[in-house]
Amino acid sequence: MMTLSRIIEILGCEILYCGDEDPEVESVGAADLMSDVLAFGGPGMILVTGLNSPQCVRTASVVGATAVVIIRKRNVPETTIELAKELDMPLVHARMSMYRACGILFNENLGDSLEEGKHID
Amino acid sequence: MRKGNTLTERNVDDLLDKLRGLFADITARDIMIKSVVTLTKDRTMWQAKELMRICKISGVPITDGNSQLEGIVSIEDIIVALEGNHITDPIEKHMTRNLVTFSPEMNLETLIERFNRYRYGRFPVVDSDGKLVGIISKKDIIGAILDKFRLIYVHDNRRREILEQSVDWFDKSLISGDYVEKTSADFVYHIDYTDVDTAGVGSAKLKSYLKTLTDDDTLIRRVSIACYEAEVNVVIHSGSEGYIFAWYDEDVTRVRVEDYGRGIENVEQAMKEGFSTASDHVRELGFGAGMGLPNMRRYSDKMVVVSEAGKGVVLEMHFYRNGRK
Repeated sequence: MMTLSRIIEILGCEILYCGDEDPEVESVGAADLMSDVLAFGGPGMILVTGLNSPQCVRTASVVGATAVVIIRKRNVPETTIELAKELDMPLVHARMSMYRACGILFNENLGDSLEEGKHID
Repeated sequence: MRKGNTLTERNVDDLLDKLRGLFADITARDIMIKSVVTLTKDRTMWQAKELMRICKISGVPITDGNSQLEGIVSIEDIIVALEGNHITDPIEKHMTRNLVTFSPEMNLETLIERFNRYRYGRFPVVDSDGKLVGIISKKDIIGAILDKFRLIYVHDNRRREILEQSVDWFDKSLISGDYVEKTSADFVYHIDYTDVDTAGVGSAKLKSYLKTLTDDDTLIRRVSIACYEAEVNVVIHSGSEGYIFAWYDEDVTRVRVEDYGRGIENVEQAMKEGFSTASDHVRELGFGAGMGLPNMRRYSDKMVVVSEAGKGVVLEMHFYRNGRK
C-alpha cells in the first residue's frame, strides 16, 4: 500500500488532474491494451499505460482504478485531461519508459493487478 | 424471472423441446477430436497396449496406412490378448472388425442414442469414403454441450430463420424469445460511430446510472466492462450507428447492444480470444486485440450474439445479482 502522492513523487510525475483526496494504491497494472485491463483489472489499482487517448481514462474508470499514469514523453491530448476531470480520475504523466516506471513501483512492493489467472473465470 | 418459476410437466416438455432445438445443429464433425492416434494392422497388440498407456486412451483405431479404417483395438481386446497369451501377435489377428461408426454429419441426438444403444466408450468418425476423420468419446459430447451452454449463440438454421424475419431479430429477446419493448428500457444510449474518442461514453453513463440503483459494485463493474467492450465494437467495427439498451431489476440486469452495420461473418471465430479483424488505427486505441467478445462472455452470465455479414449485430447479455464474481 502506498499513497498516490508518494507514487507521484517517486516517479517524478507531472500532475494533469488530481482530485482532493490522496487515495491509497494497492497494486499496479501496466498495459497498452485496454482489453487486458478490462479482463484483469480491478479496484485499487493504478493503470500505467502508454496509451494517451481518452480511452485510458475511461477504461480505468470502468474497472474502478484509482489513477492513471501515462508514461514517456508524449503529448497528452486535452480531451484525455478533460475526461479525467469529468470522471474524477487522477491523471499523471511520468516521463520515463514503461519498464523503468514499473521497475520503480515493483521495488516498492506494489502487487501486480493484471496478473494472469487472477480474473473472474 | 422475479417470481419463482415452478416446473410443471408441460414446462419441462417445453424446455426439452427448446434444448433439443438448441443442440440440433451440433454434428459429429463439431465434436470429434480430429487428431486421432492410430496404428496400422501390422503392428503388435503389445504396441497397441503401450500406445494406449502412454497416450492415456482407451481405444486405438486401426488403419491400412492410408486412413482407411479397418478395425479398432480396445482395452478389452488387450485384456483378452494378455489372458490368451497372444499379446505379441500382430493387431490384424485380434482387432475388432465389426465396427459401429459415426458419419461426420450425424447430429447430437443420434450420437447420444448410439452411445446408449451400443455402450462403447468411443466411436470412430468415418467419411463416405471410409476414411477415418475423427473420434468421439462421451467426454467430447459433454464438452460440446457445456460449450454450447456457455455461449448460446444462434446456430445456422435458427439464425437463418431469425434473419429472414429481420423485424423479429431486432424486436425479440435473443435469450428469452419475448418481445423486447425498447421504449420501456431504463437506459438508452445512442452510439455515435463517427468519433472514436467517444467510444465508451455510453458504458460510463450506464455505470453512473446503475450506481444510483444499487450498491453492488461487482455487478456494476461486470455490466460496465462488458458493455464497454460491446460499445467499442460498434464504434470500431460496425461502420454504423448503434444503441445500448439496459433494463435493471433486482435480480437481473439486461443489456442489449445493437447496430445496423457490417455484421460479424463468423461468430464462432470472433468468440476466440485473439481473433480480430481490427485495423492498425483501432489497435492504436488500445483495442482490437481480439478480446472483446471473450471479455463480454467472461463478465456476463448469459450472452447471445446474432449477426450476419452486412446485417448488423444484436448482442444481449444478462447479469445476475449473485452471478459471476
